[in-house]
Amino acid sequence: MGVISTDSPDSAAAATARPAMARVPLARTVVFGAVALLLFLLVVLPFGWVLNNSFHDDITGAWTLGNYTRIFQSVDLLEPLFNSLLLAVATAVIAVGIGVPLAWLVSRTDLPFRRTIRVLTMTAFVTPSFIGATGWILLAAPNSGWLNALWRSLAGAEAGPLLNIYSMTGAIFICGIYTVPYSFTMVSSALDEMAVELEDAAATLGSGTLRTMLSITIPLVTPAVIASFILSFIQGLTLFGVPAFLLTPTGIPVVTTKLAEFYQLFPPEIYMAAAYCMPLLLVTAMLFWMRRRILGRKQFITISGKSRAGRRIALGAARWPAFGAALLLPLVSVFLPYAALLLVSLTRAWGQGLSWENLSLHWYWWALFGNSETHTAIVNSLLFSTFAATLCVMLGTVVAYIVERRMVFGASLFGAVTTVPIIIPGIVMSVGFFAAYTRAPLNLYGTPLLLVAAFAATFLPIAYAHGGSILKGIGPELERAARSLGAGEGRTFLSITIPLMGGGLLSGWFLVFIPIIRELSVAVFLITPKTNVMTTLIYNAKDGGNYEAVCAMSVLLLLITLALVAAAGPLTRLTTVRRTSRKSGRKTAPAEGVLPT
Amino acid sequence: MMEFSRRRLLQTGGLVGTALVTGGLAGTAFSRIASAADDPLYAAAKKEGALTLYWGSYEQQTMEAIRDAFKAKYPGIEVNLLRQASQTVYTRLRMELQSGVHECDSLGTTNMLHYTELKKIGALAPFEPVDGVHIPDAFRTLDPDKMFHVGAISLTSINFAPGKVQSPPQSWQALLEDQWQGKITTGSPAFSGDVANWVVAIRRKYGDDFLRAFGKQKPKVGQSNVDTVTDILAGERVVGSGAPFSYTLTQKAAGNPIDVVAPSDDAILNLGVTGILAKAPHPNAARLFTNFLYSTEVSMILQKNFWPTLRKDVPWAEGRSLDQLKWTRNTGDDLGPEVAEGIAKWKELVR
Repeated sequence: MGVISTDSPDSAAAATARPAMARVPLARTVVFGAVALLLFLLVVLPFGWVLNNSFHDDITGAWTLGNYTRIFQSVDLLEPLFNSLLLAVATAVIAVGIGVPLAWLVSRTDLPFRRTIRVLTMTAFVTPSFIGATGWILLAAPNSGWLNALWRSLAGAEAGPLLNIYSMTGAIFICGIYTVPYSFTMVSSALDEMAVELEDAAATLGSGTLRTMLSITIPLVTPAVIASFILSFIQGLTLFGVPAFLLTPTGIPVVTTKLAEFYQLFPPEIYMAAAYCMPLLLVTAMLFWMRRRILGRKQFITISGKSRAGRRIALGAARWPAFGAALLLPLVSVFLPYAALLLVSLTRAWGQGLSWENLSLHWYWWALFGNSETHTAIVNSLLFSTFAATLCVMLGTVVAYIVERRMVFGASLFGAVTTVPIIIPGIVMSVGFFAAYTRAPLNLYGTPLLLVAAFAATFLPIAYAHGGSILKGIGPELERAARSLGAGEGRTFLSITIPLMGGGLLSGWFLVFIPIIRELSVAVFLITPKTNVMTTLIYNAKDGGNYEAVCAMSVLLLLITLALVAAAGPLTRLTTVRRTSRKSGRKTAPAEGVLPT
Repeated sequence: MMEFSRRRLLQTGGLVGTALVTGGLAGTAFSRIASAADDPLYAAAKKEGALTLYWGSYEQQTMEAIRDAFKAKYPGIEVNLLRQASQTVYTRLRMELQSGVHECDSLGTTNMLHYTELKKIGALAPFEPVDGVHIPDAFRTLDPDKMFHVGAISLTSINFAPGKVQSPPQSWQALLEDQWQGKITTGSPAFSGDVANWVVAIRRKYGDDFLRAFGKQKPKVGQSNVDTVTDILAGERVVGSGAPFSYTLTQKAAGNPIDVVAPSDDAILNLGVTGILAKAPHPNAARLFTNFLYSTEVSMILQKNFWPTLRKDVPWAEGRSLDQLKWTRNTGDDLGPEVAEGIAKWKELVR
């Protein structure tokens, strides 16, 4: 092909998925160098500090293995690990069990109000789970919960509570429903981009709708399903708010509440906390190993030069029942809890209950104008989240590309490094970032850059996993075609791969933007009075017991984020149009069928 | 430029004046501003131009009011307030010291152990605030070397829902009566310093038997003791133990159906403490702020927000005062291990 080769000693199997070699080794070196440097700064350095801390004694500061031996010698420390595993597995099962069918309904069928369901699911995503938990406490606390009160009015005052949110089941339920958006978004963007000839083949051979879904469609998006299972599992492992609110009252400890206790002690056991995160890393590493076993060398290419247009499956008589089922998630994750939060936020003093005299917009006024901190915090939240999400998606996608196409020797190491931050609970990562960036030569303390970096790093794994699952579905033929026509690696990536990833990238951006804007713990030791964010203010209000303010600010945070998601609608169409024109303009005609119709 | 700043000064003076008059204080604003302007400490602080507070004592609203009053009285000093939970603030400060970062001027947290520790490593600077003479006698001298002073007074008590409880428990012991089984809410000593303090005091008073009996009452254990108010307002429980005195009164004043009992077998008093960092970037501003804490202005703000005041001559809200209450405070050098032991016993007997 007349290309200058910078071959790497890679396996023959890898070569099948690899486009032709680089034309300009210098540019290649620069790109890989930059990626490696960024990963070093964002992940390796702060995590290195966490790891280093875990081997030191909190009192003396001396080198020790004591923190690790303590974990395995104390029931007090083992029990939370098991509880966390239970919570994580159950969360992932719920997230995938609901998210995948829902994604299929919205992406592949003629379900009514598909866009509405999509937006409502994103609304659930916007909700910090501790806010969701707060809403559900109002609804389902055993004595005072409104749903239980309703139940008693039907079943008699002596009846026991119908629901008890203060239980492991309650915590699993909340973690589960607020994690569904991960699996939903990842799987639906894989389905959106998928072609249908295999489905058509199944239909031609007499397979019913359900069977086609179960035996063709879902297996084709296995990479996305597994990636979202792992992410949901990690969510269940690392969430703090939900177990803190719902499991503390029942005395069930989990890893994150135990971590909070380490920080609460005097003197704080920061180094012990670092060691206590490492079992989480081990468990998650096992999951990734299992993913490798499951996916193996199987191919999941659904976008290739040969694809045809996607078509919606007619649900027939099941259309409206399916719509009813699809509404269940928004009902429990959005409508019910937000109704409760909205009511509280609209009262002057919520303990007085609902009455006209007690109705007031006071707390909204307070949050918007009565409080000098909120303005800065809203602006900061939006700015930091935008920059961090952009950095995150750019880096995550490039790393995913390097890993999927095995472009350098040891590419999978890049992937492993990228995945680490999300597994380490935010408060511990916060200490890592603090240690890494408060000393020369990289003293960024007090700057917005530090927060942007910490946010980007924390959610890099999501961008990477999302990018990877899209790339797995894009065959390398088109890239090879571009390469044989003389395009370099960079140009191929920018003009073939990126447009093919298209809408998936945008959904990926929101997939990180939203968790960033609602993230709390990683910021905890990094914010300064000038770089304060919305969630820290909400948490302070919660800490101070100002319930009405918590509810009002949560509703505001929701509205702001929703406005952004809504603004993204036209943006999605814009990118789609651009993709169409670009592709037809370049006459890579066979690829046209990729576009959603 | 000169004129502009003078006009600004007059405007600010007017504002402060209004605040003082509405606060029921006599004295002309202008003379106060003039005296502030003559203060050499203010002049030195103004030269530094800024002040960074790391505070965990008082909730956001009260702390912001104190900050704003300081800014109004001492224009020309920019105040950066980092308000987070006490332990978070302290952990951050410790990490900063380890990294050689010196951002914080004045630290204010709810745990005296933070200060004995900081003093030990030479991280605090001595200072004797002139207005400290007005501090209630019992807390005037926390440290003979003047390295730290009282920053806040907080009381732990019993709260309840007046509509649902005819005669609330009047003592900690009364909480163990059968009628309160399944009705009590409390915080966790592992999460809340105030609750930890309560556990230490209760164990000193009544031993582990109390915790054992308390566990049998099946209390709902939240995180912070603020959660007791939430549970009572929501109707989840009707009586709160280890409950925040000031915050309950704030909620009552806001119109919520909740009230507070100072237990006859002693309310538990916990001191918030404040100190100036040895390597504070703005030491004079920090001194000025520490002295300001004991001003009438600040105690008026505290009164308004139902906090115990820091001056003998300013009564608490609703005419309460320290003398009217029976209270006790945990003192001693071994509080650290005692807290840890209390948490362990709590987990064994209550949770």
